Amino acid sequence: MDYDFNEEQILLKNAAKGFLAKECKPLFVREMEKDPQGITPELWQKMAELGWMGVVFPEEYGGFGGSYLDLTVLLLEMGYSCLPGPFFSTVILGGVTIMESDNEEKKQELLASIVEGKMFVTLALTEATAGYSPERIAVKAIKDADDFVINGTKLFVPDAHWANYIICVARTKEGKNKEGITLFLVDAKSRGLEIDPLETFAGDKLHEVVFNNVRVPKENILGKLDQGWPIIEKVLQKAAIAKCAEMVGGGQRALELVIEQVTEREQFGKKVGSFQAVQHHCANIFTYLETARLMTHQAAWRISEGLPCDREAAMTKAWVSDSCHSLIALAHQAVGGTGFMEEHDLQLYFRRTKAGQVYFGDADFHREVLADVMGL
Amino acid sequence: MDFEFTKEERELQEEVRAFIKKELTPEVLKETEEEGLGDIYGAPEGRKIIQKMGAKGWLASTWPKEYGGLGASEIVAYIISEELGYHGLPFSFVAAHMAGPTILRFGSDEMKKKWLPRIASGEIEFALGYTEPQAGSDLSALNLRAEDKGDYFLLNGTKLFNTACHVADYHWLACRTNFDGPRHKGVSMMIVDLKSPGITISPLITMSDWRTNEVSYEDVRVPKENLVGEKNKGFYYLMTALDFERVLNIGRYRRIFDELVEYTKETVVDGEPLSKKPLIRQKLAQLATEIEVVRLLYYQLAHIMDKGGVPNHQSSMEKTFTAECSQHITSVGMDILGLYGQLKGGSKWVQLKGRMEKLYRNSVVLTIYGGTSEIQRNIIALRGLGLPA
Repeated sequence: MDYDFNEEQILLKNAAKGFLAKECKPLFVREMEKDPQGITPELWQKMAELGWMGVVFPEEYGGFGGSYLDLTVLLLEMGYSCLPGPFFSTVILGGVTIMESDNEEKKQELLASIVEGKMFVTLALTEATAGYSPERIAVKAIKDADDFVINGTKLFVPDAHWANYIICVARTKEGKNKEGITLFLVDAKSRGLEIDPLETFAGDKLHEVVFNNVRVPKENILGKLDQGWPIIEKVLQKAAIAKCAEMVGGGQRALELVIEQVTEREQFGKKVGSFQAVQHHCANIFTYLETARLMTHQAAWRISEGLPCDREAAMTKAWVSDSCHSLIALAHQAVGGTGFMEEHDLQLYFRRTKAGQVYFGDADFHREVLADVMGL
Repeated sequence: MDFEFTKEERELQEEVRAFIKKELTPEVLKETEEEGLGDIYGAPEGRKIIQKMGAKGWLASTWPKEYGGLGASEIVAYIISEELGYHGLPFSFVAAHMAGPTILRFGSDEMKKKWLPRIASGEIEFALGYTEPQAGSDLSALNLRAEDKGDYFLLNGTKLFNTACHVADYHWLACRTNFDGPRHKGVSMMIVDLKSPGITISPLITMSDWRTNEVSYEDVRVPKENLVGEKNKGFYYLMTALDFERVLNIGRYRRIFDELVEYTKETVVDGEPLSKKPLIRQKLAQLATEIEVVRLLYYQLAHIMDKGGVPNHQSSMEKTFTAECSQHITSVGMDILGLYGQLKGGSKWVQLKGRMEKLYRNSVVLTIYGGTSEIQRNIIALRGLGLPA
């Protein structure tokens, strides 16, 4: 048993931390919330130069052949700094889906560009039914000669405004099963594709993506016809744990903000941090954070090692969702009135944590997944 | 990073499991039922099992071989403890896990040679002698008096909530050798033969039918050589020991959870097993998740020690979390059992041998003994986060 990151991972963490402290300050984060693009091309380029987009892709596709755990190191720091932009969508929702689909041709064609920071891909999965199970997928793709024609509306699609390609999860067979779902790599400039931004509360750039008789050649199927859902299951698991890493990173910063406040502020002639009620809030925050961190590390490690992770991933997303929620609530309570102000950074984490709780399955969803895994 | 056991560790785990299954025969269980497996030293057959474990080096596995250990890692010791706890055996023996390590750290060579092998072999067991009526969380308020009479100490006073004194051989006693100066600088640790004249052990029955004791000392003589380390340094030894030995094992609570899961799969209500009901699924999944968190917190302590560190706030976090998780398990378990939860072992219609209600009553003490959750949260805040006192 070894709970520690290795030396390279520690170096990566420190480098990322230093970089983001300089390039992604809270003022920048606030500006990007208002900015329609969500990130500056300059910052994106610098991230590409650091090789961040390529951490988890094999060398043969231009990546660094790093592990999912290495990516987790980055995600923890990204969560800490509230890094905006299409990294999560392009690398994890786009790139990882392409990797998982086993299409040699598409991997060769697209991954190297993603790694260089020149290609943006996102995943159009959720619909008005707002869920992550096959029953919630109804957008249709009907065969027409050598093409498929897609009709329907996807919602909450991240960074569609950046995407060169949108991976659309569509039904190619009638019914509500997982069998009969296909993944289509859709050119974002396709005729009939309409992309509109949604106004969101946590700074994520989500979109409505309407498919109006959008034509996709059958060569653009990722994986096999009707067999797309097992790929999505793998991607969702990795995305859920990646989101946990962001939330834990954010939780770390929230704890620091609390400590800063309670060791500074004085009332009744003493530091607020010397009152037991406040100390116990802090102890609880720390416990939520550390337990969320350990669970995330374990799940990320298992994914890295290619070990079965259904049990641990479900447990982790449920635990981290609940814990980070409680952590942030206690943090606000401990920081007091100052923390309620827009100019204090805690509100950045408050909003992002709630969004993270719901993405890729909330705690109840994952407990039900776990119940299945437990054979209940 | 690695969150799994090595092949050798898994093999040892299997070996310990097989040993326990073989040794805890219905006869042994019947005998120990009187005392409860936790007081296994009180049962002659139970003691023999502990001594068999001692012979394998499992009681004090991390000690050097010359003292009866295996020179093993803390991970190995924690694996053994987890197996023992799961089956209701003591996961922590006072002699092997609290007194022994202190003697190893601070005792003279003579003391080590005299006591450690007998502890590691399971020949003798100690009982903790810390708490007094006026000294609980504030342990430095203890005042059982030890007068220095030259070649012996003369002891007078009372200990309270001292568990297992009625079955142990020796009292691992914290007493006061100095009444002047700061309270924590006047405490000494001594090993006292519980059969000494002047010691009276009176039972205190807890709300979970588990027995603890009041122990009164009237002019009890303790030979000088039984003083551990230096006089008046005892509190420091005690606090150091706590950093290493504060770990709480989830033990029987994880097992009752496993039994509860099986119960829900087997019990059919309104045409389907309880395990199909959405709310029950949510509750069981939540408990399973908390138990996994416990596992990570528990082995983290061993990892820290194996890397040469001293767990500090991590111990407090583990103890508090495990205690609260155990309470959740039995509270939810009682709720799921519903009216059946009320039935005591031996009753007609009882489920799970009535163990849920017994453990539910027992769970109350978990957030109180070994450092209350409030004290632990103070430690996490003050020592873990550096908050001002």
